[in-house]
Amino acid sequence: MRKRRLPGALARRSLPILVALAVLLALGAAPARGERTQQGNLIVSLDGSLAPLKLPRDRLAPVAVSLEGGLQTADRTLLPRVTKVELGLPGQGVLSTRGLPTCSQRSLRNAKPPEALAACAPALVGHGKLEAEVLIPNQAPFEIDADLLAFNGRVGGRRAVILDGFSADPPTVVVLPFVVRRGSGRFGAVLVADLPAALGPLPRLAHFSMTLSRRFSYRGRVHSYLSASCPIPPSFTAGFFSFAKATYTLADGRQLSTSIARSCRAR
Amino acid sequence: MIGRVGGRARRIEIAKGTNRRLWAGLAVLGAALILAAAALAAAAPTRDEYVSRLEAVCKPDAEATQRVMKGARADVRAERLALAAGKFAQATTIFGTTVKGISAAPRPPADAPKLSKWFGYLKNQESYLMQITAQLRAGHAIPAQRLTARFIHNGNLANNVVLAFGFDYCSFKFSRYG
Repeated sequence: MRKRRLPGALARRSLPILVALAVLLALGAAPARGERTQQGNLIVSLDGSLAPLKLPRDRLAPVAVSLEGGLQTADRTLLPRVTKVELGLPGQGVLSTRGLPTCSQRSLRNAKPPEALAACAPALVGHGKLEAEVLIPNQAPFEIDADLLAFNGRVGGRRAVILDGFSADPPTVVVLPFVVRRGSGRFGAVLVADLPAALGPLPRLAHFSMTLSRRFSYRGRVHSYLSASCPIPPSFTAGFFSFAKATYTLADGRQLSTSIARSCRAR
Repeated sequence: MIGRVGGRARRIEIAKGTNRRLWAGLAVLGAALILAAAALAAAAPTRDEYVSRLEAVCKPDAEATQRVMKGARADVRAERLALAAGKFAQATTIFGTTVKGISAAPRPPADAPKLSKWFGYLKNQESYLMQITAQLRAGHAIPAQRLTARFIHNGNLANNVVLAFGFDYCSFKFSRYG
């Protein structure tokens, strides 16, 4: 026999759902996640996470790194043109591409996601999203939302993460190479992209999100594109570290940057 | 009868005189208030002036913090907690001096509520630094670790309150702490 639910019991059951909805709405109302800095009317944001959070203290383990960030103007005016993006990755992480197939920029030219995957699936190292405002003279600015696929590649003899972005409306394909450079200070590696060469002068970068992670086999062993440890002493259970830094160089020469600190747990 | 009329007229004159004096007094008070408000407005800085005044105070202190905290994270990693505690103690003193210095600066009236909230967070930051120092000194790693998480979170909240000010040296940066 089915029990009849009482209104009080219904209210008790609904309360957590209502609270969760309220929290979701509050989060949705927030302008940007993560840490923010402002210079003039320009706000730079960066957020990021490491998965899994629990890592060995004394050896590397495979991880996925997620980064999300962008630019916005405090007064909602048109964004300035970004000419260079630099993303610093944590020093205790290791980016390993030995044995991982590469994909050339040429194979991705005008390639929609199925074509890009058909050409370069073995080199896939991540995915993401890209939002940009496009300003065409004598037209109202419009937004582009592109899906990103990240591939392992080489540019000018250097290791690179090549992003293939596809937007359905208007139909657009962009190929954006991030060259991997040695980082300084707390950042072990820096992904550097020169934007004008790749995108031209019209799009204004607004927001990006990217998750990098890949496991692959090489010489009979499983390797990870990204690995990290949580090097803390036995008396601690968690450690804090400079996780990432985003630096944007604008067309007028200004540089804006923001960095984030995150924690890891020892297992 | 004549005396009564004369007395009434005198009373009216007296009342008129009192009214005049009252109005004159009010006028003087009003003028004084306007002058005081004008003087206050002249003394109150604009947001840009306030930011540059505070940044001038914060810059040497932020640089000093970075110097004294050098190697603190490595000390914690190597379990040299007493050494790390000494560095945190110095950073706490510097932080306290900075907060005292910038609290005294006149604030832009329009930003007063925001700044009051910010100074609340800064007081919490100082308290967390003191507590971290004490826990490290006592060799209590886990409480120090928990307080560090709160210190970072509170620092980010403080930054969000004054985001529009565009502070650099007066904003919280985790990288300054070792």
